[in-house]
Parts: sequence; C-alpha cells; structure tokens
Amino acid sequence: MSGALTWARLSYRQQKWELLLVVLGVAGTAAAMVWLAIMLESLRAASPECLEGIADGFVGAEQAPAVSCQGITSQYFETESFASTLLYLSWAAPFGMGVILGAPLVARELDGGTAQLAWSLSPSRIGWLLRRIAFIALFGLALLAVLAVTSELLAAAIFVDRPLGEDFTWYGRRGLLVVARGLGTIALGVLVGALIGRVLPAVLAAAVVIGVVFAGVSLGLDQWNRAEATIERRFLEAEAGAPSNLELTALGVAYGIELVDGEFLSYSEAYDRGVEANYGGVDGKVFESEADMEAGRFIGYDAFLIIPGERYTELVIRDSVVALLIGAFALALTGLVVGRRRPA
Amino acid sequence: MSVDGETVLEARGLAKRYRRGVWALGGIDLELPAGGITALVGPNAAGKSTLIKTWVGFERPTRGSVRVAGIDPWKDRSAALAHLGYVPQSPALYDGLSVADHLDLARQLRPGFDRDYARARLAQLDIPADRGARDLSGGQQAQVALAIALGTRAPILLLDEPLASLDPLARREFLHVLTDAVRGDGATALLSSHIVTDVEQACDRLIVLGVGRVLLNDSVADAMAAHAISATEHPNAVASFGSPDGSRIWLVRGAGDRPATLDEVVLGYLASGRSTAAAA
Repeated sequence: MSGALTWARLSYRQQKWELLLVVLGVAGTAAAMVWLAIMLESLRAASPECLEGIADGFVGAEQAPAVSCQGITSQYFETESFASTLLYLSWAAPFGMGVILGAPLVARELDGGTAQLAWSLSPSRIGWLLRRIAFIALFGLALLAVLAVTSELLAAAIFVDRPLGEDFTWYGRRGLLVVARGLGTIALGVLVGALIGRVLPAVLAAAVVIGVVFAGVSLGLDQWNRAEATIERRFLEAEAGAPSNLELTALGVAYGIELVDGEFLSYSEAYDRGVEANYGGVDGKVFESEADMEAGRFIGYDAFLIIPGERYTELVIRDSVVALLIGAFALALTGLVVGRRRPA
Repeated sequence: MSVDGETVLEARGLAKRYRRGVWALGGIDLELPAGGITALVGPNAAGKSTLIKTWVGFERPTRGSVRVAGIDPWKDRSAALAHLGYVPQSPALYDGLSVADHLDLARQLRPGFDRDYARARLAQLDIPADRGARDLSGGQQAQVALAIALGTRAPILLLDEPLASLDPLARREFLHVLTDAVRGDGATALLSSHIVTDVEQACDRLIVLGVGRVLLNDSVADAMAAHAISATEHPNAVASFGSPDGSRIWLVRGAGDRPATLDEVVLGYLASGRSTAAAA
C-alpha cells in the first residue's frame, strides 16, 4: 500500500498542474451537466401542461405552444440547447486528457533527467513504466467515468421517454465510449512523450497525433459501419399523407440515393459518377430533371444508410474495444521505446 | 561483493558514434579489477560519460561490447543493473519529492534496496529526510544521489562526474562518504572527473581517457613510479614520458627535485597521447 502511495505521490508531484487543470475541467463540466439535468427536470415539473409534448426532446410539430406557455417553452429550449452544446465537451475531454495527462508523463522524466535515476535503479523499465502510468490511468479512468455518467444523466434528462440504451443520439458524447477513448488517448499521449522526450514539444505533437489517429479511426469505423448499415428510404410526406419516417434513434452513416437497381450512392459519390440528382419529390423519389419529374422517370429514392438504434450497445462496445486496442498498442510501443532509448 | 582482482568492468573494442557522426569512443579495450576506487579522468569530451553510460545500459555500443561482472548490459540489462549503483552527472532528483520519498521510490524500484542504510548515511550528513529535493543545496543533492546508489548495496558503483558542480567543501565531503562506504563494503567504484586533483585523494587506481581511447589503466602507485625521475636525469623535470618517435618527453614544472603530482602524471599522459594521435 505504501508503495502505491509513493507512486501516487510521485505522479501527483510531477503533474500537479496538469491534474489540477483536468480535475477543474471535468468537475466544472460534470457539475454543469448535473445542474442542467436538474433544471430541465424542474422546468418540466413546474409546467407539465406546457412541456408534455416535448418530453422526447423535440417540440411537437403539429402544435405551436400556447401563448401562456411560450415563456417557459423558450426557457426550456434555451437550457436544452446549452445542454446539447455542453455534451460536446464530453466528446472533446478524452482527447484533451490524452494531451494534457498522457504526453508529459514520460517526457518530463526524460526532460528533467530523472529517468536516469529511475532506470539505473529499476531492473525492468517496463515495470517502471507500468507503475508510472498506473496512477494517471486510474485517475483518468475515474474522471472519465464521472463524465460518462453525467453525460448519460444529462441525455436522459433531455430525452425523458426514450430508452437511450437503444439510441444513437449523441453517439460518442456519452457513456462508455467516452471512457474508452480517454484511456486510448492517454496511452497515445504517453507514447508521443516517450518518443519526443521534451514536455512542450510532446504536448503539441500529441495533439496532432491523437487528432490524426482518431480521425483515421473514425474514417475506418465509418467504412465498417457502411458495410453493416441498412438502407432507409426517406420521405417527408408519403403519397398517402403519412408523416416523415425520419429515424431519430438510428446512427446515420450516409445520406444519398438508393438507385433503382438497389445500389446506394451518397450524394457526393453520385456527383463523382455524374449522376444528376437535382429534383426530389415529397415521396422521396429523385429525378435528374424537371422533365423527368413531370414524366415520372425517377432514378432512385432519397435514402439514408443507417444502423438502427437497437444496435447501439453493440456498437458502443465495438468502438470502445477499438479505442482500447489502440491504447494497448500505443502502450506496447511505449514499452519498446522506453526499453531502447537513452534516458536523456 | 566481488573478489579482489576479479574483472568487474570490461570493454572490448568499444566504439561509440553519435547520430551526428561524432565518435565519442574509438575502440577501447579496458578491464577494471574489483576493489577500491578508480578515477576515470580525461578532458571534456574524452568519452568518460559515454563509457560509463554503456556499462549502465544507457548507451548502445556502435562496435565492440561491454560487460558488467561478466554480463552484457544490452543482452541482460536487469542482471547487469543488479550489480550496479549509478550516480548521474547531475543528480536529477524529483523536484517535488522529499529525500524520504526518493528513498521510498528507490526501494520500490530496486529489489533489496537498503533504505535504512541510505537514510543513516544521510543522517550522518545532517540532511533531513523530510526536506524537498528542490530545497537541497547542490552538494546535498549529490549526497542524496550517492546515498541512493550506496543503498542499492551494489558491488560496483559508477559515478559520472558527481563532483563537477560542487564547491570544494562539498567535494571533500562527498569523497569522504564514498571512500568510507567503498572501504567498508569492499565495493568497486569508478569515479569520473576531468579535474584530477578532485579525485586524487580518494582513488587507488587511475584510468586516463583521451581522444576516445585509454591512455593509462594502472594503479596510482605504479603510474607514479613509472614516470618518476631523479634530479640527475633532468634538473627541472618532475616526470618523463615516452613519445611516438622513441624520444622522451620531459614534464618541466618549475623547480625540480620534487615528486610529480598525480595531476602532472595525467597531464603527461594526455600530452603524450595527443602527440601519439597526431603522429598516427
């Protein structure tokens, strides 16, 4: 136990300001999320008659709020809008933690020369690395868990009647994925710091590397999602007068045309192929020209590629595993770097 | 502890070139027997730190090999490190940690680290265990680094210019602690310095490193004896050295009729080594 405390004390003393910055950021964000969730709840409780129709987070399109409800409705939407914006912070926080907590961890040991002391004492540099990372990883995990829980809490306060376990709304901005991405980016930050060995350059480089790696991962996952997605034709109003079929809980993978032969093209792909998709009808049919529209010669249907909300948990787990694997790979590379490099 | 006379540190054809193409060591062969304190001296950039760091496993040889107690540190680092205590050039302690924290950390990192021994050494010097590293003087920081190295109870101590930034009193104190510990434990210490007078009082053996190669590796007594001259040989010289062309180099330092100092012997080696290098 005293051993763990020694490492914790070392980590704290070495990264006091970074830890303070992250704690303040996460505590502030989490507190704001909880406060907004309470605000939304209390607004709904104060005027259930005015806000009943927007319990799912969207105002009923079929009716405008009564004049007497306009004040509270407006206040509700302002609060909800702020809450939505705040949820972007729980998307960005994991990346920030990788840069702020991960990058300086080994870099400062190399920069300050203390790695010489530690590596001349420790029979295993890997053992040193793991113990050195443990506190920051656990600390980061705790903070990320706070963000994951409070972001879920806030989302649930906005979408009162929707089961968010089957809903891709604010995907990646709440829950487990926030934690997994955070741990992955911390490990990436540590790797960059070990490679560069100077604190400030490592922090700057880590921001770039983490951005590039996760942008690449996002592109890769988009392709993976596309392979698994289903086509959902979109119509604003069916010929029979049915309402829009916009799937609110699904993950929108791409937007484009389902051609008459069943192939799906995003609008940018259609443009690249020279497919003119200039006119659309309320029933979702897409036409190349006004004349075609008048003649009823359509080329396909306005459509989304979607992954239905029921697969939310499956994708969260899949994407979390990807983020954690990236972290594990980065950690393994860090072990190689630390094992081979000179200490100063 | 090692048996006296047994080779504890070894370098074979050791050459080290840094990325920018600078050769720090040009293929040296060296054996250091167990026991006592050896001074590793040479001018700046002679390769002293590089040589020590290859033994610690911090620098990989470009050519050749090194061994610590018969173990290649690049093949089995943990086994080699188990024989070594190391004091780096600048004591590089953790700013935010106290002296006691450093000893705790060392105990966590090094199996068998003798914290009580290290603490007792520091207590003798009136260095408070609860004082932060950043509040210690340069001399005290060096003493903490030495106490950590001694606390490993390693049979071989490598000290990389630990005296460079210390004032004369702190140097004297540092060497006193080192000598006391090495004599008491029967350890082997290799102490590098570019100022011979710093280490003269403590060392039994001398390695002179110049131009990336070993110019001398001998006991101090033998080195002194080998170059001693009588007043009849040269009235104002204190030592003589062979030169590349077979003639003798006389080290003339004021009035003769006194024995050469170690500093002067080293100076003679460096001078003749440079002549040899120039001739080569």
